[in-house]
Amino acid sequence: MTTDEPQTEAPPSFDDTIWSTVDGALAGISATPERGVLDLIVHIPPDEVLRGLTALRRHEALDFDYLRSLTAVDNEDEGIDVVYHLYSTTHRHNVTVKTTLSNDDLTVDTATTVWRAANWLERETAEMFGIRFNNHPDPRTLLMPEDMTDTFPLRKDHPLAEIEVLQGEGMGYTEEGQ
Amino acid sequence: MNYDLFGLELNVWVDALIRVLLIVGFMTVSVMGLIYIERKILARFQRRLGPTRTGPMGLLQSLADALKLIGKEDLRPKSADPWTFEFAPYVVFIPVFLGFVIVPFLFGWQVRVIELGLLYFVATSSVNIVGWVMAGWGSDNRYAMIGGMRAAAQGISYELPLVLALLAVAMIASSLNLQEIVSAQGRVPFVVWQPLAFFIFFVAALAEMNRPPFDIPIGESEVVGGPFVEYSGFRWSVFFLAEYAALFILSAIGAAVFLGGWAWPLGEELGRGWQLILMSAKTGMLIFLVFWVRASVPRLRIDQLMGYSWKVLLPLALAQVLVNGAVLVYDWPKQVLLVTGVMGLLALFWVTERAVRQPRTRPAMTIAQSEAAS
Amino acid sequence: MVTPRALEHEFETQDLMINMGPQHPSTHGVFRMVLTIDGEVVRDVVPYVGYMHRGAEKLCETMDYRQGIGYMDRTEYLANFNAELSYVMAVEKLLDIDVPERAQWIRMILCELNRISSHFMFTGAFGTDVGVFGTAFTYSFIQREIVQDLFEEITGDRLMYAYFRPGGLAWEVTDNFVARVHEVLADMRQGVIDIDGLLTHNEIFVARTKGVGYISGQDAIDYGMSGPALRASGVDLDIRKAEPYLYYDQIDFDVPLGEHGDVYDRFVLRVEEIRQSIRIVEQCIERLQPGPIQPERMPRMLRTPPGEVYIRTEAPRGEYGIYLVSKGGNRPYRLKIRSACLSNLQALKHMTVGQYVADAVIVLGSIDIVLCEVDR
Repeated sequence: MTTDEPQTEAPPSFDDTIWSTVDGALAGISATPERGVLDLIVHIPPDEVLRGLTALRRHEALDFDYLRSLTAVDNEDEGIDVVYHLYSTTHRHNVTVKTTLSNDDLTVDTATTVWRAANWLERETAEMFGIRFNNHPDPRTLLMPEDMTDTFPLRKDHPLAEIEVLQGEGMGYTEEGQ
Repeated sequence: MNYDLFGLELNVWVDALIRVLLIVGFMTVSVMGLIYIERKILARFQRRLGPTRTGPMGLLQSLADALKLIGKEDLRPKSADPWTFEFAPYVVFIPVFLGFVIVPFLFGWQVRVIELGLLYFVATSSVNIVGWVMAGWGSDNRYAMIGGMRAAAQGISYELPLVLALLAVAMIASSLNLQEIVSAQGRVPFVVWQPLAFFIFFVAALAEMNRPPFDIPIGESEVVGGPFVEYSGFRWSVFFLAEYAALFILSAIGAAVFLGGWAWPLGEELGRGWQLILMSAKTGMLIFLVFWVRASVPRLRIDQLMGYSWKVLLPLALAQVLVNGAVLVYDWPKQVLLVTGVMGLLALFWVTERAVRQPRTRPAMTIAQSEAAS
Repeated sequence: MVTPRALEHEFETQDLMINMGPQHPSTHGVFRMVLTIDGEVVRDVVPYVGYMHRGAEKLCETMDYRQGIGYMDRTEYLANFNAELSYVMAVEKLLDIDVPERAQWIRMILCELNRISSHFMFTGAFGTDVGVFGTAFTYSFIQREIVQDLFEEITGDRLMYAYFRPGGLAWEVTDNFVARVHEVLADMRQGVIDIDGLLTHNEIFVARTKGVGYISGQDAIDYGMSGPALRASGVDLDIRKAEPYLYYDQIDFDVPLGEHGDVYDRFVLRVEEIRQSIRIVEQCIERLQPGPIQPERMPRMLRTPPGEVYIRTEAPRGEYGIYLVSKGGNRPYRLKIRSACLSNLQALKHMTVGQYVADAVIVLGSIDIVLCEVDR
């Protein structure tokens, strides 16, 4: 799913969402909306995402002060999406911010300056997908071993180990061995 | 020179040997018994059964544990200081063992009747702090070192209220000889005249024994056993032996000094058998109290512990000594002691309550400082 | 003469670094933190997680939707139903299926009972952290045991229930379910009284926990904390109220809030939440009507349309979120588990620095971490 897909269809209405406010807050940033199952999804290009997030955090009527989750989705050839789930504890509304990184340049600015919550989440995302978060204050691995920085387990091209069969015929023992 | 032991005329060395053997045997058996009883009592407090499998009602559990501990490998960390590490258990154990010399089990049933018995006791019992520090330092383990340092701080701080509480009683009894102190109480034990001193003694004794809520040096959930963390097998069991022996001795001395020892408060003289039962019951009561406290209260923090000793217990103990001195000098009636004692106790509770209920303070360091420190 | 100034120069002190965990009695699993201490005061904390990382998210990508349920149990092993709930709700949202009323009520009852058992686990473990020798632990564990017995009767398993299904429940609850829940609730009420008597009003406990591990509401939000740890700082954010799911909007219950944001508030708040959960279960039991527990027609193989959804529910430790991306087919394209403990744990340094070593332990305990959930 790419960022410009919603526009190819008939332009959907976002009147019942907070899109108009978000659009106002993101003035000067090329953001495109998409209707998610629960929340509004806003696509922002990677070089503008930090500005966008900061604007969403600072805007008074939006006040997205709570970073619910930060993760990434590997879309194989179409690059890697970095997904921010934001919430406002004062206004009680949600928004999902997505930015698509191309496979050639997997870097994006860190969001730790906006929410301290982003610190560990970005560390995890970085080690799992091989994304570089610029200016991250603590760019160590989080869940992975410290020296395991060359392999990215949550990418789609990362192989899974073969499932061991511990029951039945394929137990790995030869018939003669019994 | 000959000594009289159970009516036998014995050579001084034979006499000493028999007495030592008796005490060692008694101590080992009583410690194993105490461990079994503690486990059973704690289990009851915690809606469990405790040991049930080894022997009838689990009675042989302690014996099995002791055998297991002796059979275990004696490990020493490679980087540990060999001498300090290996001698620490004995430095902890021997002072406790020496304390048995003056414990007045019954009239005349003592290893030695020493005129300065109480002084001897407080002098020897505080030496084991050295052993704790040795264990903490020699293990070359940071948890052990923190534990050892905590033990030293705690041991020294609580020694003072303990000694002053005992001193207050010694003043009233006009003696340091434990046998005479017991006799001086007659039908009314000193706990009636010196309730404050008794409370201070009990709290300080808990701290001296590193029993909850003062088990800060051991602190399972913080320093993982403190100085004992690297010990195993026999050496560890020596620490354990010392801990329970100290529990027994301090309870016995508390029973003798404050609860009237073998004296029966209602009637006149009792037979030896009844006296023994009385003494055991009084000691047992104190030991049970220690177990009860262990089962129900959390651990204090090191600053609260030190503050409680220096800011609360010590001044009140000093006040008690002063009041006792005044009573002795001016020959006031004994009731003054009771009144002042109860007042002191109330003051103690009030101060404690106030310390607990004080308004919450924010941490001293601000966030900016903590960010800067990192 | 020794002036303080000279003292300062004569005795240069060096900070001591101690390594707590991954095998330490009070790190609640395989968590490791390196403390830099100056005497007894903590100057710095560096937490290390990841010892339990099993790649649950990656594994779920290889399983079809029903197989993934079992994996949710394994991420959050103290509040399995709450974890399963997030997952099945995410699948239901993508499939756009309605869940029968009875199944929803039973889900609510089980989730709240699971919250109770999880909070009792907390009170027990926390009692041990503060230094009660086992008594709080055994008293709490008996309560947890009672709840687990009920769960075992229903699901056949004591820990890994795998009982919720997309669309409803795996099978009908036992016949005596209502009576059993009432029995369990009676025990829970007694359990709360026991814990109150043993810990909440204990002077030493109060002295140990009050004013320790302070974090302001604003900081807590900034760190992404959630659940009781966040509400103890006075932030009114309970997803059951803020964005009601199941039938929480039809139920009358309060969200307890703390004022001081310290360890004591976090403890008391959880005990209060047990009471509220008892209230919720009582009301749910009254509304429980006979009926189906699965929709009429459920496909044998669940195939979701492309789309994505982020479902969040209020688990005992905070927000348990499931971010599910589907590109069609019978398995998730990407499944992200938003762990409440991971975010809560980030604030550990903020809360611990400047406190005593002993307090570091209880601050960690007060966050109530489950390492399986942090590492996933």
